[in-house]
Amino acid sequence: MKFWRQRKDEELDAEIRNHLDEAIRDRLARGEAPDESRVNALREFGNVGLVKEVTRAMWGWATLERLMQDLRFGMRMLRKNPGFSLIAILTLALGIGANTAIFSVSNALLLRSLPVPQPEQLVTVSRGDGSGEPLSYPDFRALRERNEALLGLAASHFAEVSFGNGIRSELLRGELVSSDYFDVLRVRLALGRGFLLEEERSAQPVVVLSHGVWQSRFGGDAQIIGKTITLHRQRYTVIGVAPAGFNGMTEMFRTDLWLPLQMLPQARPLFLTSLSNRYDQLFAAIGRLKTGVTLPQAQAALETINRQIEIAEPPPAERQRDPNEDRALKLTHPQGINLPHFRRRAQQATALLFVVVGIVLLIACANVANLLLARAAVRRKEIAVRLALGASRFRLVRQLLTESVLLGLLGAGGGLLLAFWINRVLMALKPPMPESWGFRLDLQLDATVLGFTLLLAFAVSLFFGLVPALAASKPDVVHALKDETGVQARRGLFRRFNLRSVLVVAQLAVSLLLLIAAGLFIRSLQQMQKVDPGFQTENRLALSFNLDQEGYDEAKGRAFARQLLGRMGTLPGVQSAALANYLPLGFMALAEPVAVDGRTTPSDSQPPMAAAQRVGPDYFRTIGTPLVRGRGFSAEDAPNTPAVAIINETLAHRFFPNEDPIGKRLRIGNPESNPLRREIIGVVKDTMLRSLGEEPMAVTYRPLAQQHSQWLTLVVHTAGNPKALLPAIRREVQALDENLPAQEIKTLDEIVAFSFWPMRMGAGLVGAFGLLGLLLASVGLYGVMSYAVAARTREIGVRMALGAERRAVLALIVKQGLTLSLIGVSLGVLLALAATRILQRFLFGIGANDPVTFVGVGLLLTIIALVACWIPAQRAAKVDPLLALRHD
Amino acid sequence: MKRGYENRIELLQGTLDLLILQTLQWGPRHGYGIIQAIRAGSGEVLQVDTGSLYPALHRLERKKWIKAEWTVSENNQKVKSYQLTAAGKKQLAAERSNWERLTAAMAGILNSPEGA
Repeated sequence: MKFWRQRKDEELDAEIRNHLDEAIRDRLARGEAPDESRVNALREFGNVGLVKEVTRAMWGWATLERLMQDLRFGMRMLRKNPGFSLIAILTLALGIGANTAIFSVSNALLLRSLPVPQPEQLVTVSRGDGSGEPLSYPDFRALRERNEALLGLAASHFAEVSFGNGIRSELLRGELVSSDYFDVLRVRLALGRGFLLEEERSAQPVVVLSHGVWQSRFGGDAQIIGKTITLHRQRYTVIGVAPAGFNGMTEMFRTDLWLPLQMLPQARPLFLTSLSNRYDQLFAAIGRLKTGVTLPQAQAALETINRQIEIAEPPPAERQRDPNEDRALKLTHPQGINLPHFRRRAQQATALLFVVVGIVLLIACANVANLLLARAAVRRKEIAVRLALGASRFRLVRQLLTESVLLGLLGAGGGLLLAFWINRVLMALKPPMPESWGFRLDLQLDATVLGFTLLLAFAVSLFFGLVPALAASKPDVVHALKDETGVQARRGLFRRFNLRSVLVVAQLAVSLLLLIAAGLFIRSLQQMQKVDPGFQTENRLALSFNLDQEGYDEAKGRAFARQLLGRMGTLPGVQSAALANYLPLGFMALAEPVAVDGRTTPSDSQPPMAAAQRVGPDYFRTIGTPLVRGRGFSAEDAPNTPAVAIINETLAHRFFPNEDPIGKRLRIGNPESNPLRREIIGVVKDTMLRSLGEEPMAVTYRPLAQQHSQWLTLVVHTAGNPKALLPAIRREVQALDENLPAQEIKTLDEIVAFSFWPMRMGAGLVGAFGLLGLLLASVGLYGVMSYAVAARTREIGVRMALGAERRAVLALIVKQGLTLSLIGVSLGVLLALAATRILQRFLFGIGANDPVTFVGVGLLLTIIALVACWIPAQRAAKVDPLLALRHD
Repeated sequence: MKRGYENRIELLQGTLDLLILQTLQWGPRHGYGIIQAIRAGSGEVLQVDTGSLYPALHRLERKKWIKAEWTVSENNQKVKSYQLTAAGKKQLAAERSNWERLTAAMAGILNSPEGA
């Protein structure tokens, strides 16, 4: 291209030379004097350079040529000032890297589509706006059969299934799906086939395994098709193996196998009649749009069918729901997490993080803008020369912006490296969910993320580059060429480096905002750690059993409970063990009506509700909840002994404010079911049932022996590390029933840590980014102060020559910096007062205007600002008046 | 310097192309020759600016309406001369008829009673 270009240039030169020669010849022929003719011909021709320039523009790629020129020149300028370039690129890399990392989080959580062919055609169908209620099977079938907008509609219900092979039993994560599930998703099975319509119509025990399970449990057996495996104590025939990497509809959690949805009653006995019930909404539905059908069209088509169903079969009286309830269908493209509740949480969290890293990026931009402004001052002469030689301001601004874009792109490159590293860290910080859920957060720098970063680099380059470029190219040629750097220096404190001061003040203000946000999170975490959950967590292990699902009846369940406790009692290393139907901090609590004997509640009002737990003997001792009055449950409390109950302090205060509750009687449960009258035998301290730091709830406890539960949680208080005892505990369980899998095996420490996790992440991430912002802002302040000192060297020299003491000089500079800092801090406090209110929902135990945080962070920032000014001030105080006056 | 331009007429956008194509109809010419031909042909009224002519020539060359050739002039100099291509001839015909329609329309307006 270069040779072509060179030849074209030479040809153009020759062409113009010819033109002039002929013009001169004509003039000579007309009798003009030789030198006169030459001058006249040139005058007639006009500006040779300009004619060449506009002619070259016709060659088509002049713009590109000019861009290459600018880029080459930009690279040269960057190489000429390696220190400047390195600092600017590093600063940008930090800002862009943080943003890229957070974007890759939101990409994984909120944007990424399922890894199947043509994912853009997929739509999920759910009920209710935003809440994402699943569909019932009859409704799903009607929609599937009657609609003409979709190529297919598939249903899926998540269920854990116990998988036993005689050696060990475990819970696998399954999806109960409709027959066309794999067809709608266009997933080609690695082996065998998907489900047939007959298998959806009548319960057929067939299963499709995930690639992972096929590999890990069956060693990738190529002959697996047609073999049988045992799932929830029933034989299933393997008909297919899913391809590697396919994870079902819950992309972020592992899926191990797929069963026909008709197997629902076997897999989940709780849902025995659900498949025929229009109001058991169990199925997530996913469809594929026909070509040419848009999402709104499909939405309208399905909604029409939905309304026909509602009219044809209006809900029976007892199903009359809230009239405001939204029964409309909602179609969305599945992206990221498709569980609405988690999705909303993820949206809030990523929005918050985006604000935080956005501020970090702003601070970084301000730093680079400051650097560019400082450099523009150095390049004043160069720029003035170019302006004087006739470069247009537009051309100069474009040249300067090209340099900015170069910086931005190099910064983006560094940012990608940084983001890669931050992503590793973030993936390691994933929520402490049980291993068995197979949760994975796959943060990739994929095409979407790269596109974002590239776009960000350009946007940022314009942002930090435009103002300095405009300022630098201001045609002030005369002063610059005369080398009068002092012109601006005579206009007082704030005029002297006015744009730069504004930038520094803004930086300090927003970094204060960041630090206050970080401080609020850290203080919240502190407050949360101070909370007493009402039980001990150290050396305690919990594991649960779902006996219903394993086909146990109540008698068998009771026997299992009794034998399990007996075995635990003799196991070495166990201090105590107890059973409960569920444990505290499980994010939910079952509530039941409570009626105190001898008191009537007005018939028109609802009976008071209280959370209800069922626990076995030794429960309170095992979990470490102190008994305040009375006694705990013992083995004596059996089905045939008097019915008893224990209450917590909150319930005691609420129901028996000035009385001794011991010996009082109450009924727990729906009055229509005529619950037993129970005598209160004890009062225990409050525990946090759903989440840490909640308002204490009123809680009743009943003995498991008197109110059996088929969902049992075993708590074991061990002498040492509870995890070390897990194999022994498992052995005891398998001795009782070799096919019974335990689920949700966790230490109580882990359960509490899970409650802490969001706050810990908030404090960690906002804190880390806050410190990054602080670092960048103090570097910015330092830079501006250093520049100010350099610019005032001569003035300082004069002052010192006239007798100013070093201390006075020191004070002069520090005062200047501190003024800027204090303005920044004050603005930051005002900003934070207005902005932190939106943080309130993330905080715990403190207000969004927590004075400790505000004062602490304000002081911290002021001190750091002082240090950033002190160093240049010291340098100013060391100025040698003689050298300074000879300066320039 | 301005005085020299007083009696000249500003060329309408696009008419320069037509003029160049028309001039080349009589055979190959180089840039200076085209300017001279247009000036002579218009009775010294139309003076084509070099800053317009050369971009126009290079543009027309790119559109393949004219093609350039390096020839040797009578003074034994290498000269770049332009000549019409087949596509250029077609273009000339089209632009000519456009121009005639335009001038007819202009004349219609200028000569109508209301137009005065």
